[in-house]
Amino acid sequence: MDDLVHAAWLLVGILVAFTVVMTMVAYTVLAERRVLGFIQGRLGPNRVGPGGFLQPLADLIKFIFKEDIVPDKSTRFVYFLAPVIATTAALMTIVVYPFGPEVHLPLINKSIQLVITRFDVALLYVLGITSVGVYGVALAGWSSNNKYSLMGGLRSSAQMISYELALGLALIGVILQSGTLDLYGIVEQQAGHIGITGWNIIWAQPLGFLVYLIAAIAETNRVPFDLPEAETELVAGFHTEYSAMKFALFFLAEYVNMFTVSMLATTLFLGGWNGPFVHEVPWLGVFYFLGKVILFLFLYIWLRGTLPRFRFDQLMSFGWKYLVPAAIINIVLTATLQWAGAFDYLSKFLKSQSGWFG
Amino acid sequence: MISSCSRCLRGVRQNDHNHGDTEAHRDCTEKRKYVTALLFILFAGLAIGCAISMVAQHNPLYSAISLIGVFISLACLYVTLAAPFIAAVQVIVYAGAIMVLVVFVIMLLNVEEEERRPLRLRYLVPIGIGLAAILFAEAVFIIFFVQNSVNTPTTNISDIGLTSSIGAGLFTRYLLPFEITSLLLLMAIVGAMTLARRGGLLPSDAGVVPGDQMFSKELLDRRDVGDLSTVVTHSTAEAARLLGVERSHDDAQ
Repeated sequence: MDDLVHAAWLLVGILVAFTVVMTMVAYTVLAERRVLGFIQGRLGPNRVGPGGFLQPLADLIKFIFKEDIVPDKSTRFVYFLAPVIATTAALMTIVVYPFGPEVHLPLINKSIQLVITRFDVALLYVLGITSVGVYGVALAGWSSNNKYSLMGGLRSSAQMISYELALGLALIGVILQSGTLDLYGIVEQQAGHIGITGWNIIWAQPLGFLVYLIAAIAETNRVPFDLPEAETELVAGFHTEYSAMKFALFFLAEYVNMFTVSMLATTLFLGGWNGPFVHEVPWLGVFYFLGKVILFLFLYIWLRGTLPRFRFDQLMSFGWKYLVPAAIINIVLTATLQWAGAFDYLSKFLKSQSGWFG
Repeated sequence: MISSCSRCLRGVRQNDHNHGDTEAHRDCTEKRKYVTALLFILFAGLAIGCAISMVAQHNPLYSAISLIGVFISLACLYVTLAAPFIAAVQVIVYAGAIMVLVVFVIMLLNVEEEERRPLRLRYLVPIGIGLAAILFAEAVFIIFFVQNSVNTPTTNISDIGLTSSIGAGLFTRYLLPFEITSLLLLMAIVGAMTLARRGGLLPSDAGVVPGDQMFSKELLDRRDVGDLSTVVTHSTAEAARLLGVERSHDDAQ
């Protein structure tokens, strides 16, 4: 019986998180189109519903009713498998992110943590699932039997393994400092100090944060690292031959990936659900968390509206010659400072100055 | 605070210290046994199925996908054995890095389906079957005789397989093997670099992709093998001029 209750709670948690993330992803797409429109001096979609509010729904209906075209000479099984892998891998990481602190549910009189599951290696789980996501793009490119697709698939697999390295190395600084791989634990540690100064980005991991941010943009194939689907050279890259709902799945995977790397950045560097008055009103934590995520999503869109695309050799040399060494320097620095006790000293100092941010 | 009981892998309240000794724990380990057995059968079956498919497939890419399936099933088995760190590393290293490279190379070479050739090394088949039989016999021996022995190590199971215990082990007791392994990997990387530079002769009509890049004399002219003096150029013509390589009549066209 106890087991069943536990399973039911897990299921409820997954359903709620899934709904929240999916809704926000749908509106990220709308926000991207509107913000890009604003940056480029035009309106963007504003006809469906008030201010274009129902546009995601219209897009969904359109995707479902489009004709699904499968290329004649494609490798059928892999062609169908690729979007499934991409979407599944993107969605699977949601279960480990802490959306908020421990809150009290008034109706059933029960206290729960706003995280679906906690386990010892949550951070490694995220990295593992992310690395499997590469296959979606690579296999899509290969199975379409199209030169542009193949080029896109090849580029993406080269790009993603190169930047995964920098991404993983950038996170080691945080792990060194917190001594745990459990995301909830990492967020709780950042709450140990007053307000914004407790966040890892401010006083502990500025370099690590920068490297993570750049590598994360490359991991999600976004501008200025969107070479796998560079429309000016490769038509649409790896998803050239995909149409209707299969294309929509890739589209979804890209935005969910954006969302999850933003959630990871928030969790590890921006203090997760921490913020003013969270201890008094725990539910505020959810809004802080999602607000910080939205900040990252806006940054993504802003970059897309501003930056041109890298050339492939620039991409590779930037990743290997600058990002990876920077991440290694960050590890050595963090380890040295940790060993010298600098972080402990700093946190004590900050605690003694507790007049700044409430 | 909910975390998982390391003994029975279920969510329990962390302040419930008595969980390990109570009736509830015994009850849930009983139930857990069936679930674990069920999961084991599922993932072991999947692993074996994928392994057979890997050998049997004609298309190398399908073999690669099957191998990824094997690795992921193995990772799931590690999770049921309460070793989440090993499981995560299994996925990151094997499924996420090594197999991506394999798939990358298969795609790059655009390998077609291999044709069935008559088996040349026919005498190896009985040897293979014999070795498989020995392996199977060993497994049976271990299952029926070793595990039931009195000396099965059961001390403090809750620590094994967790990140901190593995890290502590790697950097204290097993430091020397760990360092030797990393040295071996470094040697492999340096070796690969050396081989790639020495054997990396491009055809003489190979061009420089526009942009600054290092270009060695060896790459431009087949006769200058081993001459690794380099220039930084924007184009093939510029590289040839700077290196003093005479481009043949064919290339000029």
